[in-house]
Amino acid sequence: MIAKVICYALNGLEGVPVEVETDVNKGVPAYEMVGLPDTAVKESKERVRSALKNSGMLFPMNKITVNFAPADIKKEGASFDLAIAVSLLKASEQLIGADVKDTVFLGELALNGDLRPVSGMLPILISAKAHGFTRFIIPAGNAKEARFLGGAEIYPAHTLAEVVRHLVGVNPISPLETCEYTVHPNPKGSADLKFVKGQPVARRAIEIAVAGGHNVLLMGPPGTGKTMIARCLPTVMPDLNFEEALEITKIHSVAGVLGEEGIVSVRPFRTPHHTATTVSMCGGGNRVVHPGEISLAHGGVLFLDELPEYKRSTLEALRQPLEDGVITVSRAGGTYTFPARFMLCASMNPCPCGNYGSADRTCSCTPAEIRSYRKKVSGPLLDRIDLQVEVDNVSYDELTSTEMQESSASVKERVNMARRIQHNRFEGYGMNTNAEMGERELNEFCRLSAEGDKILRSAFERMGLSARARSRIVKVARTIADLDNSEEILPKHVFEAVSYRIYDKIG
Amino acid sequence: MSYTEEQALIWLCGCTPFDYRERMQLLRTAPSPKALFEDFEKFSAVLIKKGESGVYNKQRGMREADLARLLADMERTNRFAITVLDSDYPESLKAIPEPPFVLFGEGNRSLLSKRKFCIVGSRITPAWAEKVGKQISAELAEHFVIVTGLAEGGDSAAVSGAIESGNLICVLPTGLDTCYPASHASLKARVAKSGLVLSEYPMREGAKKYSFHARNRILAGLSEGVFVLSAGAKSGTLITANAALDYGRDVFALPHNVGVAQGAGCNALIQKGAYLVTCTEDILTNYGIQSTRRETVTLPPEEEKMLCVLRESGEAHVAELADKAGMKIYEAAAVLSALELKNLAVKSGGNKYAAV
Repeated sequence: MIAKVICYALNGLEGVPVEVETDVNKGVPAYEMVGLPDTAVKESKERVRSALKNSGMLFPMNKITVNFAPADIKKEGASFDLAIAVSLLKASEQLIGADVKDTVFLGELALNGDLRPVSGMLPILISAKAHGFTRFIIPAGNAKEARFLGGAEIYPAHTLAEVVRHLVGVNPISPLETCEYTVHPNPKGSADLKFVKGQPVARRAIEIAVAGGHNVLLMGPPGTGKTMIARCLPTVMPDLNFEEALEITKIHSVAGVLGEEGIVSVRPFRTPHHTATTVSMCGGGNRVVHPGEISLAHGGVLFLDELPEYKRSTLEALRQPLEDGVITVSRAGGTYTFPARFMLCASMNPCPCGNYGSADRTCSCTPAEIRSYRKKVSGPLLDRIDLQVEVDNVSYDELTSTEMQESSASVKERVNMARRIQHNRFEGYGMNTNAEMGERELNEFCRLSAEGDKILRSAFERMGLSARARSRIVKVARTIADLDNSEEILPKHVFEAVSYRIYDKIG
Repeated sequence: MSYTEEQALIWLCGCTPFDYRERMQLLRTAPSPKALFEDFEKFSAVLIKKGESGVYNKQRGMREADLARLLADMERTNRFAITVLDSDYPESLKAIPEPPFVLFGEGNRSLLSKRKFCIVGSRITPAWAEKVGKQISAELAEHFVIVTGLAEGGDSAAVSGAIESGNLICVLPTGLDTCYPASHASLKARVAKSGLVLSEYPMREGAKKYSFHARNRILAGLSEGVFVLSAGAKSGTLITANAALDYGRDVFALPHNVGVAQGAGCNALIQKGAYLVTCTEDILTNYGIQSTRRETVTLPPEEEKMLCVLRESGEAHVAELADKAGMKIYEAAAVLSALELKNLAVKSGGNKYAAV
C-alpha cells in the first residue's frame, strides 16, 4: 500500500511543499530513500526505526521505498522525520482510519520517539498557510512561535505515540490557541540613555539616526562609552508592529536563534565580533544557506565595534545591502534573497593610540600610521554612514555625578513623532523612513531653498563630497527638519547635517 | 669635448656618490671644478688616501657619458640644475656657511629671484594651527614666495595656502624623482606645475635621516624669515628655526596653549625672542609691507553672537559654547558648522571649536 504525507522543506525564507510517499512491498527486507535526500535526511532511517520501536509500533520487515517529491529540489535537515514515520505507519496499515491527507507533518524524531523542535517553523507555517494548508502537527517545542499564526489548526505533540493516538482518534491533542502579539514589556538588559553621562553631541546624533533610519559612526578615544551609547539604540527605536515582528521572527527562526518568547518583539541588536567572516555577515553556507548577521539585524541595529579591525572584504560586502535593504546570496545550489534593512552603527578610535584630535592628550601615532588605520575603512562605506560624530572624553565629575540624563523613553517619544511625519509622507510609496528615499522622493520632498543649496554647494566643494554624500546630507537634513516639526528644510537644518560629516574633514 | 665649470659641478653633485664633506674636500684640492672633472684620478687621491669607501673611480670617458646622460635626462624631464656659479643662484643661500653647490629644480625657475619667506610646522599640527597657517600662507603669498617642505601637517598647510598663487617653493629631502612621504607624489607634481620643487640631491636618492636636517638649512637659507606653525619640544622644525637664527634671519612663531605638546617648541621660541604671530600683518609689518585688509563679511545675528562667544572663550566644547550663547546644543552645532564653512571657526577634535 502507498501512503502520501505532506511535509515542508525550507528554501531561503520560503517553505516548499514536499510529498513523502512510502510504499511497503513484499520482498527481501530493505529500506530505500529516493528523491534527492541529503545525508541528514538519509540518517532519518535509523531515527525512524528506533522511534517506531520505542513508541510501541512495528517497523515492517518488508521492502520499503520512501520517495520525496518533487525530486528536483534538495531536501535537507531532520524536519522530515515525523512525516516519514507517519507515512510508514500508514503504508504498513498501522493507522487504520486515520486521515493524513491535507495535514502537514513537521518535526525531528529522537530515538525514544520524542519530537524535537526544528528551525524555520514560522516561515514554513506562513508559506504552507498561503498554499492552502490549514492543519499542522508540529513538535511542542515549536509551539511558541507557531501560536502567532492565526487561522490554522495547529497540534503540538510531544512524542510520536501522541501523534499516533491523535490520528486514530483515541486521544486527540487540543489545537494551539492563537496568541495576540504584544510588544515585549521590558526589553532585556539595562541599557537606557539616562545612564549615559554627558555626550550631548552623540545623544543628538543617535536621536536623528533613529528618527530617520540613518547609519551612524561613533568616533572617540577608547573607554568613552561608544559601546554603551550604541546599546541604547534599540531602546529609542519605535516599537515593532506585528508585520515587522513576524518578518524578523521568520529570519531568526530559519537561523535557529529564536529565543524563548517564540516571536521577536524587541528590535534586534547584533554585535558580530570583528573576526566575523564575510559569509557569517552576509549569509551563506555549504548546502543550507543561512541568513547572516545583517539579516538577523533586519529591523534593528547592526553594531560594528572597532570598525577598522574588521576584514576589509567583509566591510565592503555590506555596501550593497546598505543601499538595497536586501542581500541576495548566490550558491551553486540556488539563489536566496534575505531581507537586510538594518541600521548600521559603527564605532572606531580616531587613530591606533586613540588620542588623535584630542585637545588634552597627546597622540603618539605617526601620520602614516593614522593614514593606514583610516584606510581600512573605505570611502564608499563611509559615504553610506550619514552621521559621524565624535564621542567626548568624559571628565571624572561627569562620571560620578548622580544626576540622570534624559531617558530613552522621552527621546523615543520625539522619534515616534518624527516617524509619524515620515509615515504620512511616504504613504503609498512603500517606505517608512527618510533614509530609504530614492532620487525621485528626494526631488519631491527635499527641495532646498536657494540659501540651503548654496550652503550645500560650499560644503560639497570644501569637503570634496561625493554625489551620494550630498544626497545623504539632504536626507539627514530632512530628518532634522522632521524632528523640528518643520515642513521646510531650513538652512540651520542643512548646517547641522553638514556638521555630522567629520570624517570628510579630518580624513 | 669641452665642459663648462657649471657642468663640472653638476657632474660632481649629480653623478658621484660622495657626501657634502667629500665634495668640499675635492673642490678644495682642485683649482677648479673643471680641472677636477678632467683630472679626477689625480685629485681623488685625497679621498683614497684616507681609505674612503665607495669611491667613484671611473675613467674620463665614463665620466663624460655619465654627465651627458644626466644632462639629457634633465632636458627630457624638464628639470634644471642651478649651481653656485650661476648668476641667479639666490644670494641669501650663498650667504650660509654650507650652501649646496648645485640645486636641482623642476618648475618655475624665476621664483628664485623673488623675495622668499619660509613657513614650516611639525607633521602633527593641531587643526586650528593648520587653518591659521593656510590662511597666513595664502595672504603672505601675495608678497613673498612661500618656502616650505612637503610633509603632512604644517608643511601641507603652507602648501595648500600658497599653491593657488604659484608663489611656492618646496624643498625636498630626496631626489627630485622620489617623494617622501610617497602619498604626496601628486601634491609634488602640482607644486612643480604651479610653483617650484627644489632638491640638492641627485635623482633616485631616497630620504635619509640626515637629509631632513640638511634640507632644513636650505629652507632657512633661502628665506628672509621663518614662521613656525607648530613644533614639539624636540621637533625637527626647530632645526629650521635655529638655522634661521644662525644665518641671521627673522624667526616668527605661532603661540600655543600651555601644555599642548605640539606647541611647546613654538612657545619656547617666543620665549627666546621669536616674533609672536597672530595674523599676517604681524609678519608683513616687520618687512614694512602694508597689507591689503580683507573685507569684512556681515553675518546673521546668531552667527555673529556665536563668533563673539568663540573669541571670548578660546577653544571650547560645543556644549559650553551653546550654554554661553544661550542656544540648544544642536543649534549651536549648526551655527558652528556655518562659521566653519565661512572659514571663521575650526573644529579641533573632541567636539571642540576655536575661532580663527
